[in-house]
Amino acid sequence: MTMIDEEVLTEALRNAAEDIEIPDGATERILAAAQTTRPTTPSSRLRTLVPRSGRGRMVLVAAVVILVAGGITLPLSATKSSPSKTVAAGPLPASSVPKSAVPVPGSTAHGTAGGAGSAAPGTPSINGATSSPAAPPSSVPPLPTGSVGQSAKVEAKGSVSLTIGDGKLSSAMTKLTNLVAGYGGFVASSQAQVGPGDASTPSAGTIVLQVPQSSFASLLSQVQSVGHTTSVTTTSTDVTGQVVDLQARISALQASRQQYLSILAKATTIGDILAVQSQLDSLQTQIEQLQGQLDVLNSETTYGTLTVSLAEAGRSPVPPPPPSTGLGKAWHDGVHGFVAGFDWLVRIAGPTLFVLLCLAVLAVLGRFAWRAGRRRML
Amino acid sequence: MKDDDQVSEVGAEVGDLESWLVEGYPRSFRTACLILGNRSDAEEAVQEAFLRAWKFRASLATGADLRPWLYRVVVNTCNSKLRQEIPHRDRRSGEQELAEVSAIDDVPGRIALSQDIVKALQDLPLHLRVVVVLRYYADLSEREIAISIGRRQGTVKSRLHEARRLLAEHPALRADVSDDSSTDSEALR
Repeated sequence: MTMIDEEVLTEALRNAAEDIEIPDGATERILAAAQTTRPTTPSSRLRTLVPRSGRGRMVLVAAVVILVAGGITLPLSATKSSPSKTVAAGPLPASSVPKSAVPVPGSTAHGTAGGAGSAAPGTPSINGATSSPAAPPSSVPPLPTGSVGQSAKVEAKGSVSLTIGDGKLSSAMTKLTNLVAGYGGFVASSQAQVGPGDASTPSAGTIVLQVPQSSFASLLSQVQSVGHTTSVTTTSTDVTGQVVDLQARISALQASRQQYLSILAKATTIGDILAVQSQLDSLQTQIEQLQGQLDVLNSETTYGTLTVSLAEAGRSPVPPPPPSTGLGKAWHDGVHGFVAGFDWLVRIAGPTLFVLLCLAVLAVLGRFAWRAGRRRML
Repeated sequence: MKDDDQVSEVGAEVGDLESWLVEGYPRSFRTACLILGNRSDAEEAVQEAFLRAWKFRASLATGADLRPWLYRVVVNTCNSKLRQEIPHRDRRSGEQELAEVSAIDDVPGRIALSQDIVKALQDLPLHLRVVVVLRYYADLSEREIAISIGRRQGTVKSRLHEARRLLAEHPALRADVSDDSSTDSEALR
């Protein structure tokens, strides 16, 4: 590789530099300017670390923005995840489930809320409170506050999966039908699949219950007493805003229609009458559409929907139990441990990656800021 | 040879700006000139650098070497100028000015290579130009250059190596070699 000789380079540069004349009076100007310059102590380094302009300031601003955004996003994501909190577990005896595990509208829970066998029909028990079917339980959390001048409109839906005894599908569905009738509700739909008796086609069914909102929680509790609960899910949505919006739009359209009717009464030519009539038809269509939506919302908020899935116990295919001893058990445990470890790794990878990314960004920004600060100081 | 060799220790001189200027200004100015390729920019940069150094003189640790620190201030000021101000102007005039200065008192056989070196130097990337000037004009050691530019000594070494290679490949210096191969062929090795 060809490189220029150091001595030649040194000599050439010195020769070139010697030809550069030193400006006259430069040192005097510096001395004069220095008269007004006060020495800065090392303690002022902290101030100089905050760049006043240029890339350093941009970097600092970016760092602050990232920190603020991260600070806002993390709590938000934590808050968003709370309504869909899910608990999953296998079947357990009804007596082992605490009462507080019974979900109420507004929360979602999959889990063994088994049976609630201690609560007799007609005396629903929610969060330890007992009341008659007609009276809403006192421990049900208050509905969300509605808009001004409008009571809260909450749409409640839920689903329950129950395991019942062998050959008890028909009686369970009858019991559920009577139960919902007792609460002033009705069966919206039902579907049953009865097996021929062998284990390959177990009997199972689904029944959709509609019950007044005030009795939704009570019915939910009672339904769980019909069999062993394997999962419970409830969701409730506040649609007060939509109702108010629809009502306002309908009112506005009705007012417009009234205006057009007044104009129609005064119209004299056929052209005017046709034009106004066309507008009126359009308005009427819109009003009816909105009214339909409002009716649906009112219906949904009047009745809660509970879907109950029933399956006979012992009919569903059961996976073979793991071997309890020997090499088979060791193999099973090993596979289980591997899957659990991999699952843990995948689960932890996301947050770890995010934290590492944040740290890397902060490190880079900090390095930039530090270097910019030092450069600024000099 | 070393105008500022005397300014090597921080002691009584630290507070003595006048002695700094007497001993360090000419070499600092010429260093800035070679880096920036422009006299007026160099004068402004060096003035600003000395004032900054004077202002922050207390931040220099006791026992630390003044010379690389001072050069660091000069280099940083030149960097700032190149980043913030000079890109918005036409740099051609500056380069011509430096070339004209170099040609004022031409001594046959000496100035040609110097002019070509200056020209090739201005074509080097800034980070390479700085280390070349500090090493071969300001006569700083690699360790002092590392302090001056805030990089590791290995970085300085590799930059010097790259700079010498690029200079040897520069067309102006190649022409010198071909014109006067008997003398300059030894220069390139």
